[in-house]
Amino acid sequence: MLRESSNAKGEGYDLNLLTGAGGDGNIPHGALLVSFADAVLGTDNRRLDDVRAAIRSRMGDAALVDAAAIVATFNAIDRVADSTGIPIEDARAASTADIRAALGINQFAEARGEIADPRDRTDIARR
Amino acid sequence: MKISYAHAPVPVRDDVIAAHAVAWERIANPGTWFDGATRVAIAAETRNAPHCALCARRQQALSPFGIDGRHDSLGTLPERMVEQIHRIATDPGRLTRKWYEQVLASGTPETEYVEIVGVVVTVVSLDTFCRALGIPAHPLPAPIPGAPLRRRPATARQRGEAWVPMIHPKDLEGELETPEERKLAKYWGGGLANIRRALSLVPEEAYAWFQLVETQYLPGKAMRDFANEYRAITHAQIELIAGRVSVLNQCFY
Repeated sequence: MLRESSNAKGEGYDLNLLTGAGGDGNIPHGALLVSFADAVLGTDNRRLDDVRAAIRSRMGDAALVDAAAIVATFNAIDRVADSTGIPIEDARAASTADIRAALGINQFAEARGEIADPRDRTDIARR
Repeated sequence: MKISYAHAPVPVRDDVIAAHAVAWERIANPGTWFDGATRVAIAAETRNAPHCALCARRQQALSPFGIDGRHDSLGTLPERMVEQIHRIATDPGRLTRKWYEQVLASGTPETEYVEIVGVVVTVVSLDTFCRALGIPAHPLPAPIPGAPLRRRPATARQRGEAWVPMIHPKDLEGELETPEERKLAKYWGGGLANIRRALSLVPEEAYAWFQLVETQYLPGKAMRDFANEYRAITHAQIELIAGRVSVLNQCFY
């Protein structure tokens, strides 16, 4: 979706930001928002306090609420995907194959002995 | 129990408050396969999972499957349910189909498995929201008496797509047996991503879960409407946060 957004806007976001590259990735406050996600899922409460304060100061209270809602959604939705074994849709796998390989995301599946791209499946289900 | 964000440091959107109130009330109410007391117990065990020594050892191990032992549980649910709840809560990125099959072999029906997922992720989501805002998690609701529906949709089948049986949108085009299927058919309205189908073996969980998702994230049509912005952060900022969280969770979906 980030790539779709980037293509739609023609703004060339640097998707390496997802995997820890520094900078904003051409997304306003990109580094701050990555830090926020990291802090919410981490255990350092003081760091989370600091990042939260920075978002309120630089982006506003409403932005903090909406950012919190997105972290809350995806911290849970990832668990739905992982615990039900749903595969990536073929069309989405095809359109994101290059970026998934470049960012090392396929390794998440391979580490579990599974197949990241459903087009590679010999049996249909993830195993 | 009413959900309140009056103590939050920032004003929370009214639609988020309303969605969280509905989600919390659903936990307390009888579900499709569990009564309210069991659903609240699942919620409590979800919150207990981060304090489990076995889960901590497994998280630190190269593979969680070589570490045996008993979970530190609250003692209200059978170990097979505690294993499912704790693993989904603490180490979701390393779940495998073999593990899922072992959970079923231990005595958990696939219907109950899916309902447990629905309760766990609801608690994870609301608790994550509270942590993100710097406020305490909401007290768990008191169970509401009543019997579960115990109705499995005939349209949910195992087609070799996912570990769990799911409903396919095409199956919802004909005459439907249950109100839950009819509700889902009206909501889905055609083709859709697998993530929306994931919990459809328990249609009420699938429907309720995505009501919460669409409120916290974006309504379906807004997700790809890149010409307009619907939140205080842009599509790009939303997807950046979403992508980063998924990387941290090692979720490849």
